[in-house]
Amino acid sequence: MKISLRWLSRHVDLSGIDPKQILADLTMSTAEIEDLIRFGDGLEPLVVGHVRKREKHPDADKLSVCQVDLGQSGGIVQIVCGAPNVDAGQRVIVIKPGDVLPPSGSKGALKIKIGKIRGVESHGMICSESELGLSEEADGIFVLPPDSEIGARFVDVCKVQDWVFEIDNKSINHRPDLWGHYGFARELAAIYGRELKPVGVPAELPSDGKRVEVVIEDKEACPRYCGLMIDGVTSGPSPNELRWQLQAVDQRAINLPVDLSNFVMLDLGQPVHAFDSRHVSSPDGDATIRVRRAKGGETITTLDGQQRKLDNKDLLICANDKPEALAGIMGGVGTMVEHGTTSLFLESANFRASTVRRTTMRLGLRTDASTRFEKAQDPANAETAVHYFLQLLQSHCPSAKAAGPLVDPEGFVYEAKPLLLRRERLALKLGIALEDEQIVQILTSLSFEVETTAEGFTCMTPSFRATKDITIEDDLIEEVGRMYRYDNIPEQPLVGIVEPPKRNEELFLVRRMIEVSCLELGCNEIYNYSFTPDAVLEACGAKDHAYILVSNPVAPEISRIRRHVMPSLLSMVEGNLRQTASVRLVETGKGYHGETKDGHGLPHEVRELSFVYATRDSGEAVHPYGELREHVQHLLRRLGYPVELTRTWSGKDQPWVHPARAVALDRDGSPVGYVAHLNPAVAAALNLPKQVAIACVDIRALLANGRIEPSYTPVPTHPELPVDVALLVDVDTQVATVGGFLRETGRKLIRNVELFEVYRGEHVPAGKKSLNFTVTLGAPDRTLSDKDESKFLDKVRKNAAQIGAELRG
Amino acid sequence: MDITGKQDEWLQAIAAASDGPAVAELEARLFGQKGEVLEMVRSVTSLPREERPAFGKAANGVKLTVDKALAARKDGFAQIELNKELNATDFDPTEPGPRARTGAMHPITIVQNELVDLFTSMGFQWEDGPEIESEYFNFDALNIPGDHPARESQDTFLLSDGNLLRTHTSPVQVRTLQRLVKQGFEPPLKVIVPGRCFRSETVDKTHEHSFYQMEGLVVDRVQKGENGATGISTANLIHTMKTCLRVILERDVEVRLRPGFFPFVEPGFELDVNCPFCSGKGCSVCKQSGWIEILPCGMVHPNVLKEGGLDPEEYTGFAFGMGLQRVVMLRYGIDDIRHFMGGNLRFLSQFPEVPR
Repeated sequence: MKISLRWLSRHVDLSGIDPKQILADLTMSTAEIEDLIRFGDGLEPLVVGHVRKREKHPDADKLSVCQVDLGQSGGIVQIVCGAPNVDAGQRVIVIKPGDVLPPSGSKGALKIKIGKIRGVESHGMICSESELGLSEEADGIFVLPPDSEIGARFVDVCKVQDWVFEIDNKSINHRPDLWGHYGFARELAAIYGRELKPVGVPAELPSDGKRVEVVIEDKEACPRYCGLMIDGVTSGPSPNELRWQLQAVDQRAINLPVDLSNFVMLDLGQPVHAFDSRHVSSPDGDATIRVRRAKGGETITTLDGQQRKLDNKDLLICANDKPEALAGIMGGVGTMVEHGTTSLFLESANFRASTVRRTTMRLGLRTDASTRFEKAQDPANAETAVHYFLQLLQSHCPSAKAAGPLVDPEGFVYEAKPLLLRRERLALKLGIALEDEQIVQILTSLSFEVETTAEGFTCMTPSFRATKDITIEDDLIEEVGRMYRYDNIPEQPLVGIVEPPKRNEELFLVRRMIEVSCLELGCNEIYNYSFTPDAVLEACGAKDHAYILVSNPVAPEISRIRRHVMPSLLSMVEGNLRQTASVRLVETGKGYHGETKDGHGLPHEVRELSFVYATRDSGEAVHPYGELREHVQHLLRRLGYPVELTRTWSGKDQPWVHPARAVALDRDGSPVGYVAHLNPAVAAALNLPKQVAIACVDIRALLANGRIEPSYTPVPTHPELPVDVALLVDVDTQVATVGGFLRETGRKLIRNVELFEVYRGEHVPAGKKSLNFTVTLGAPDRTLSDKDESKFLDKVRKNAAQIGAELRG
Repeated sequence: MDITGKQDEWLQAIAAASDGPAVAELEARLFGQKGEVLEMVRSVTSLPREERPAFGKAANGVKLTVDKALAARKDGFAQIELNKELNATDFDPTEPGPRARTGAMHPITIVQNELVDLFTSMGFQWEDGPEIESEYFNFDALNIPGDHPARESQDTFLLSDGNLLRTHTSPVQVRTLQRLVKQGFEPPLKVIVPGRCFRSETVDKTHEHSFYQMEGLVVDRVQKGENGATGISTANLIHTMKTCLRVILERDVEVRLRPGFFPFVEPGFELDVNCPFCSGKGCSVCKQSGWIEILPCGMVHPNVLKEGGLDPEEYTGFAFGMGLQRVVMLRYGIDDIRHFMGGNLRFLSQFPEVPR
């Protein structure tokens, strides 16, 4: 919303205050200001010219050659002008060569040069209102009043320049009173301690005359409806100052009654609607206005030309039961005051916020009026607005007069409920004790009636703050705080018991996992959306799984809430592999399984840590599975959650796992995740190389059995003896089996058994493989000798047949 | 045997050895298993018994002399080698070794961890809440009633199961309070909850539908004393937030607290920090205002405390919700919010730092 400084100044004297200071003060006490704009910026070079002579251009029918007198600002100059309305004797606005016409609308700044137009020299340009940015369109050049001083600066002759504050609407959603200039003037009067001038002084209205009957069928939806017949109206264009004032806040001027109804709304926040009285009256001049809910299936064509289908919760303004307006939102087509209207019916009503909002949302039709009603306007304002409108109308059109009494069947009597502000509570919440005098001064400046009591202050809220904004003591604390200014409150550290905070093990574990993965294992952490694109799920063979869906997704193809982290993480591989030969990616995140719900009806949540290691296809490319397997094992051991990797993983629900090349991560016999080759079908679908390894750990499953603290074993005092053992076995013999056999064989002397190579090649027959181990032997009480080694190897040789193996070499 | 002649011959050979390897070869020749010097010493056995002592003595003398000369020659060459190495000229300081495999945490993780460290060091608990949230916790419990505009706004992602994607981290306020009250609440409560939130927006340079917030909540019992009641106040909020921003933005920050409206706080504030890009002079980042909006916050609304199971007369508190992306962008000067969820390693590998 835009607020004009010139407009504000009608209500409160702001002279001597820099607009930037006003911006700062409003920001600190009232609302967020997004911008401060100079309206009419750059119009300073324009001068008033007098068209002495106008002749047709010798070479162009539509052009005129004018001799324009600029007085002391340049004497008489020749200007070629294309406007049809230019004529001798006019006072016009001229921009001279060398000056710059400021940008307006979609047009950029224009530097004026002496030029030849169809062979005739032109020394400047006669301007239209739209060229000056004072109106959106113009039929021709702008003609000033005949008494305008020739040669004077345009901005001195016409006071158009203004400062406009662009208010962040979100910051005033809770303040119905700030949806107009008067509300901001009131705030500024309080901030600067200046006087706020009254508005809409009630005028004496006739007690009879044209009769309008108003029937409010739904008083819940329409608590108040004021109406007034006004005669003697001229509906021509508004005076320049009014049009420009509206233009400064982006309101297009139409005609006097419509412009004034907009003016009243933009000033008081109270939408008013001026109907041509012919639309609401019967031929005898009387009218019945009926405020009622629409009937199912009823329609109205609003003044934007759209036919709207209504339901029985929409509220209508009807004249003699014919729908004439969507209450509080938009009038019906043709009801508007047009050129030639002489009699109008002014509606100034109060509609329930929720009713207006519902229809607005349903129809997707938001207007300046509905936006204001949605904030819950003050019913007292409805009557004020009628008087204000009439007063403004009469000042521009003295023949206008009320043609009948003010119709206001419901009326409105505001009874303020006393609200207690306790001194102690105020000091407690703000953290500073203020003097009574200051508190009273602040609240009074904001129109509260305040009575000081032993405990604090009894406050009567003004009606314009009572519709929703001020309801509890804390709201009053805010009033005092913001006007005192939060910035003036000295900061104070928290004090109290010093104790270490409780630890959430899951969060700390995940944090350490990411740290180890990235800082030690060389992974890059990735963040993916919680929605997985359909195409990715399709490629992963998981599109038909049971997903929770977003009903209003940003795009239809990203509506599925992820069950697992892996598919999105896999989708990040292809692009990155184009940049680098191999990637190690890690992501932690939540997946959601809707088939089970908690006590609050929320879906089952899993937290996963997922890895993808991938290497581009090339001659020497080694499958990263082995590396990832060891990394995951190392990571989990490091963090105190060691796992067993002995069983083939056979989980469901994750088709991206290679069905025959996946090892389960087991803790105490139950799986907490897997390390695997990527399913080659998925790799192909995602356009990935063969060398992709994946791993996933279910964090909550991992945590279930607790952390294992490292335990101390005495450091061996005698040196250890490493022995290399190569065993020839069948290809389907597991490393774990052979390792177990070696441990069994070496018994107490075994310190460590480690595979360093699996060899299939020369000297190894088909169907066989050579498993090459380093077995570390040691004894606590002596240094082992060659004899111990040969004894161990002999035993291995002898027993190898037990596992179908043969000792090599 | 002419021992002296031999000695001269050997000493000459030692003197003639031109480099380390020549000395090593000579050593093998003289002192190896069948080395000439040792053979000479052993040749004593071939002599008549009475000649042996004199020969042995002389031979040992020769052995010692030759050994010493050899050692000296060896040391000499070793010294030359050492000097040569110490004066090496073939060293290229720019020649790299094999590349270290360096990973990197996500910049949001880095900053979040720092914030977690900071707040836990001040006694805050680090907690978490679900991303799929009920309407009750996301709205009703936070004093956002059914007809409130925020409820109807287009920016909430609604889900097929009747829940929604949380639009802020604030639902954890009432969640935490209710849980603690059930367990027998022992004040004070100081908790932070960083996490992912969602609002339906078209993604561009400055907008993202999935974003990170860090909720903070402090609640304590009101103490009634001689000089009135004391408890958690706006003054505490200002101090805590200032401390946090000073640490996280690595500079002495200026902040300003101005009114802001959020239904679950009263009074509500917006906390701004002076723009780091222009030092508050006004630039395009801060829209010429000199300030950057960073932290909505406020005193916990009495209705929220009630919903959490606490009596607002007995307890007061403050809450804040920091936008993490904003902080990360300020910290590193990142100009495009889309990078965070883009998964591009050319962006993500720019932050190889460990949390301080």
